[in-house]
Amino acid sequence: MDLVTVNGLSKRYGGIVALSEATFGARAGEVHALLGENGAGKSTFIQILSGAVQHDGGSILVDGRDYRPANPDAAQARGIAAVFQELSLIPDLSVEQNIWFRHEPRTLLRTVNRKEMRRKTLALLEKYNFPALRPDQELRRLTLAERQIVEIAKGLAKDTRILILDEATSALPAREAEWLLKLTRQLAAEGRLVIFISHRMAEVRAIADRLTIFRNGSTVAAHEANAVSDNEIVTQMIGRHLDRLYPERVATATDSIALSVKGVSSGSRLSGVDFALREGEVLGVGGLQGHGQRELFQALFGATRASGTIELWGKPVSIGNPRQALTGKDGIALVPEDRRGQGLLLTKSVRENLTLSVIKRFTENGLLSRQKEAALVKEMVDFLRIKAGTPEQLAGTLSGGNQQKVIFGKMLLTQARVLLLYDPTRGVDVGTKGEIFQLMRDLASKGYAILFHSSDMPELVHVADRVLVMRNGRIAATLEGDHISEEEILRAAMLETKAA
Amino acid sequence: MSVEHTVGMAQRPAETKPTKPAIDWRGRLLDRAPFLVACLMLALIIGIYGSLQSGVFSLDELNLDTAAAMTLMLAATGQTIVLLRGGIDLSIGGMISLGTVIAATRFTDDPSTTALWALIILALGFLIGALNGLLISLLKLQPFLVTLATWSILNGVAMIILPTDGGSIPSWWVGFASAQFIGLASPVWMLLALLMFWGWFRATRAGIAIQATGSNEKSAFLSGVSITRVNLVTYGLSGLFAAGAALFLVTQTGAGSPTIGKDYILPSVAAAVIGGVSLFGGRGHLAGTLIGAFVLTLIGNLVFVLHVSSYWQPVASGVILLLSVLASSVAEKAARNRVQ
Ligand SMILES: Nc1ncnc2c1ncn2[C@@H]1O[C@H](COP(=O)(O)OP(=O)(O)O)[C@@H](O)[C@H]1O
Ligand SMILES: [Mg+2]
Repeated sequence: MDLVTVNGLSKRYGGIVALSEATFGARAGEVHALLGENGAGKSTFIQILSGAVQHDGGSILVDGRDYRPANPDAAQARGIAAVFQELSLIPDLSVEQNIWFRHEPRTLLRTVNRKEMRRKTLALLEKYNFPALRPDQELRRLTLAERQIVEIAKGLAKDTRILILDEATSALPAREAEWLLKLTRQLAAEGRLVIFISHRMAEVRAIADRLTIFRNGSTVAAHEANAVSDNEIVTQMIGRHLDRLYPERVATATDSIALSVKGVSSGSRLSGVDFALREGEVLGVGGLQGHGQRELFQALFGATRASGTIELWGKPVSIGNPRQALTGKDGIALVPEDRRGQGLLLTKSVRENLTLSVIKRFTENGLLSRQKEAALVKEMVDFLRIKAGTPEQLAGTLSGGNQQKVIFGKMLLTQARVLLLYDPTRGVDVGTKGEIFQLMRDLASKGYAILFHSSDMPELVHVADRVLVMRNGRIAATLEGDHISEEEILRAAMLETKAA
Repeated sequence: MSVEHTVGMAQRPAETKPTKPAIDWRGRLLDRAPFLVACLMLALIIGIYGSLQSGVFSLDELNLDTAAAMTLMLAATGQTIVLLRGGIDLSIGGMISLGTVIAATRFTDDPSTTALWALIILALGFLIGALNGLLISLLKLQPFLVTLATWSILNGVAMIILPTDGGSIPSWWVGFASAQFIGLASPVWMLLALLMFWGWFRATRAGIAIQATGSNEKSAFLSGVSITRVNLVTYGLSGLFAAGAALFLVTQTGAGSPTIGKDYILPSVAAAVIGGVSLFGGRGHLAGTLIGAFVLTLIGNLVFVLHVSSYWQPVASGVILLLSVLASSVAEKAARNRVQ
């Protein structure tokens, strides 16, 4: 018998239908993948299951009993916990305090028993072979990936029968993602149900027993994982046949150098990087995670201190804080790694997010021209095909892919023509990924210069004109033309190079 | 390119095992910078005071100064809890006034009647505070607005009970503040009790939930915290401590006053901020607040022994507040730059 049975589940947010008549069934002891484009309703579904929001219609049965949690507490009481996409961690508490939050072991005085908490933390981390974490580290000092791992530990700390992972691997580097997949299988083997949401087909293939596909808030199909092909899944997810994900690579690079980087170093993570990015070029940055890619993007954007020379369109710029000096056409714009933290103001509207940083552009004689603003916003929303009810919808309520489009819009409105894209497709569904790649090529053909990092190697191989492979904070190799392949990238990333 | 190939993710390479991060001493120091700056200021003020006046480094002086600071300390303890939760409580001004006028009109020479009324005042403080919390949750209103309104209401009620300063406080109640045990006056013992309360409270689940809600309300909710309950307890405690402040205040004034409470609203926030409590919630400790309260009180003493106009006291307090805010914002910026 199914552990969870869902029938006719519906949820609206004002005029937006997030779920309509969704069905779902999953058994104990299986890994059940939930697939669908951004905005298909996956997160809404798991928010309902975990008590964070309440459904308007339909029924949920857990163990054959009616289930309608009024809040996350009630869900936890029935053994259901979620690892949320937006994370439920407290910045000012330590790692262990976060893991045991509200379930801390206590002393006779009803205070937290720190010794016991430390012991249980270490036992938990060891039992599931967690990557290294300091239990006493404050959460706000951790990287996004480390936070994701803490969130997983938190989900496991309670006696959870149903664990829901909402795109948990998307924030993790390869090694940790692999660990999570193993963990997922281990949990299923212990007899729990794991509901697993991911946009990475290989992961789904590797661990899912069964899968359910959502589209536009409804269930379109449920399959045994080994009875369906990738092609069928994608077709069902997007409702049409997708014959190519990557746009044709047309060489549009000119001889004009947009961004020239010489001897850029920063701490121990970046030691002497040189390269030139040309107008009209998409330049990939690859290599194993943690070899200086993040630091390179931050140094170029002026978010960390660095030394060396950077020239934009032939003019040297101060490396201390280029961002301030570089607005307008000669500027530089960034799509950051942590779009929810750094890129977007989640509690502001789509319009405000798009225009806040470029407010000068529609100010005339010190007065804001609402008309001009509305026109620009509409142009951007149409151009990027941002799916929002109205421009006034809060950015935090958009699906991941549409949030990413808003960040692109914000970046384009700055009019900067040197774009730094740090993993822009992370957590974005295939359909939107295709749109983003096409957009990158379109921008390149208009003379934009794009520096592009992806944690997903095939993306670099198929989208970039050239690929810089980083190792130990240096450029280990520059691959061009036919030399761009996963094998070559890996070779350069892992092996000592002969003179490149 | 077929979908089969493009959509499927390539096998990812294994990576080097991440090393265990070392303890971040500089980060920890930066976190505590505002508190350390407050300690420094207090040491400086005591130093100057001690060089101008004899007998500053004595138990008597400690007893006197603690008594002078205790009303503010009690009020600021409640305010610290509210700030930790990311709110603010202006109504403590009204609660303190109301507490003093009830005490001045109801306390008698009969200890049991007086004790009963003292308990009523404390209960009233908690209930009115909890009502603040409830209104903030249910109406989804700014704490600033809700507590501004209740401040005004409580003030009015205090005026109705006792229109002008007066009434009387039994002398045995007044004497309580100067009673000594083992050489230390009762306010010093209260100070120790406050610190013990804080050590306990901050380690309870409720204390952690309040801090967590101030740190990130959405995350706290998703973790199962009832935000309504947190608001109820937070503002309830703030009202309770304000009532306690009123009960102590009447030992110093010997009378009730329907307007005296307003003198504690901003200083209670200032004491906390000087002591390193974040106005944005989630960060801070009572030890800092108490030091802040001492700083604000001793500035008054300093102005007195310097024989300058007493109007210099608010000027000096303001400058100190600015310095603290500056220190914490510099430290916060430095900390943020390090995280990125
Ligand atoms: N709080 C909200 N307010 C308004 N619309 C929302 C809210 N949460 C989700 N939505 C909308 O509901 C739809 C489904 O979103 P979501 O469940 O996040 O999709 P997925 O997780 O599959 O990407 C989207 O169109 C999204 O914009
Ligand atoms: Mg989602």
